Amino acid sequence: MTWMDFRFDIIIDYLPLILRGALYTIGISLGSILLGSILGLVISLGKMSRPWYFRWPASIYINFFRGTPLLVQIFLVHFCVVPILWGKSDPLVAAVAALSLNAAAYTAEIYRAGIMSIDRGQTEAAYSLGMTHAQAMRLVILPQAIRRMVPAFGNEFITLVKDSSLVAVIAAPEIMYWSKAMSAQYYRVWEPYLTAALIYFILTYLLGKLLSYMERKV
Amino acid sequence: MKKLKLLTVLTIITIILAACGSKNNESGNSNSASGDDVTYLIASDASYAPMEFMDKDKITGFDIDFLAEVMKEAGLKYEVKNVGWDALMESVRQGTEYKAAISAVSITDERQETYDFSAPYFESTNMILVKEGSGIKSATDLKGKKVAVQQGTTADDLMTGIMGQGNTDLSRFENNALALMEMDQGGVDAVVADIAIVREYMKNNPDKNYEGLLDETNFVSEFYGVLLPKGSELKAKLDPAIKTVIENGTYAEVYKKWFGEEPDTAALLSAE
Repeated sequence: MTWMDFRFDIIIDYLPLILRGALYTIGISLGSILLGSILGLVISLGKMSRPWYFRWPASIYINFFRGTPLLVQIFLVHFCVVPILWGKSDPLVAAVAALSLNAAAYTAEIYRAGIMSIDRGQTEAAYSLGMTHAQAMRLVILPQAIRRMVPAFGNEFITLVKDSSLVAVIAAPEIMYWSKAMSAQYYRVWEPYLTAALIYFILTYLLGKLLSYMERKV
Repeated sequence: MKKLKLLTVLTIITIILAACGSKNNESGNSNSASGDDVTYLIASDASYAPMEFMDKDKITGFDIDFLAEVMKEAGLKYEVKNVGWDALMESVRQGTEYKAAISAVSITDERQETYDFSAPYFESTNMILVKEGSGIKSATDLKGKKVAVQQGTTADDLMTGIMGQGNTDLSRFENNALALMEMDQGGVDAVVADIAIVREYMKNNPDKNYEGLLDETNFVSEFYGVLLPKGSELKAKLDPAIKTVIENGTYAEVYKKWFGEEPDTAALLSAE
């Protein structure tokens, strides 16, 4: 590639669309982070509970969503799950649903790792003070565990923002979708994809800043 | 325990897939019920300039202009949406939301097992893009050379036939932009793609000293058709409209607008 013929003019032409795509990327990512974290908490509680009928479904869920390609999950959600539940396929609904379901499997393990990392003796100490299991969790274990979870969550969220580029295959109009359209119109590769990379970098950098601020606060 | 778990996973997957299958069957019935006042949703993979591509947020290209003329002739309301290739194939197969697709889809025997096609509306062939003075004269000369194609196109089929399945000298890219990029970067000696694509690229990059080669013995003519679900009622409405548009000269106008030359419609009309 020679930098001489780098076409800034086509980037400028597409910039409004790519920036609009960035808003979709942000929306899809935030929605998936939120839903994925909530669902992940439920699943991690399931996996840590004693009865097999909670533990097994949680295990199967985690194994399935960690063990199959996200791209395939996106196709499954878009062409099967969403049309059945929603009546018709919808790229944005499918994007948030697939990314949330996938993120939940990873966040579930982050919750579990955080909780397991607190010494068992502390739970026992809490019990000996007469606390119930729920009280011990809320007052003793979780405040310490959350601090240990934050860096791992940061990793997961940044990965999720970049993984959201995969939903371009179902034509969700986010950053990568417009970059591909630009690439296909002009048969050029660097202008669209480097522009996309730069925007993803800015988004993840800002998210990283926000997360390290939270790390200090928690 | 392990076996039971595996069984549960398999059961769930089967249920999901079965549910998708049944959804598909129901759609077959509702299909025939739709009247002429409905707006037909038509899918396209707008990444195939100049046939169809996105000009900013507007879908355009030869196929899009041609479809407009056909739908006007047939008196049907429609809307074209850019959904991407994978989604296009699956949506039209299901036939619930999207009733057809126009996307430079070549009519092949394999595809006809799953889909119906309208009457052919465009004659195309594959073209080999090489550097000037490469010594390559035909498709068989590409044996032993490195070649790039777009995955799943007829160029992919033809070159797989010539070079052999599993030949790593044949690189299959997600789209032609990536394949052409590979050639610019020296990764391959040739790109094989539809003639319209190769010509568009040469026109846009006159300084690259590329030439396009036709090979009538290895690359026979192929025809594009509008992709339809099996048993689609649209075929009976589209085919006469396509015939009229080709015969009354509207087709030639659209063709000249995009390719700057007169089409040879004789082959199209006799192709069926």
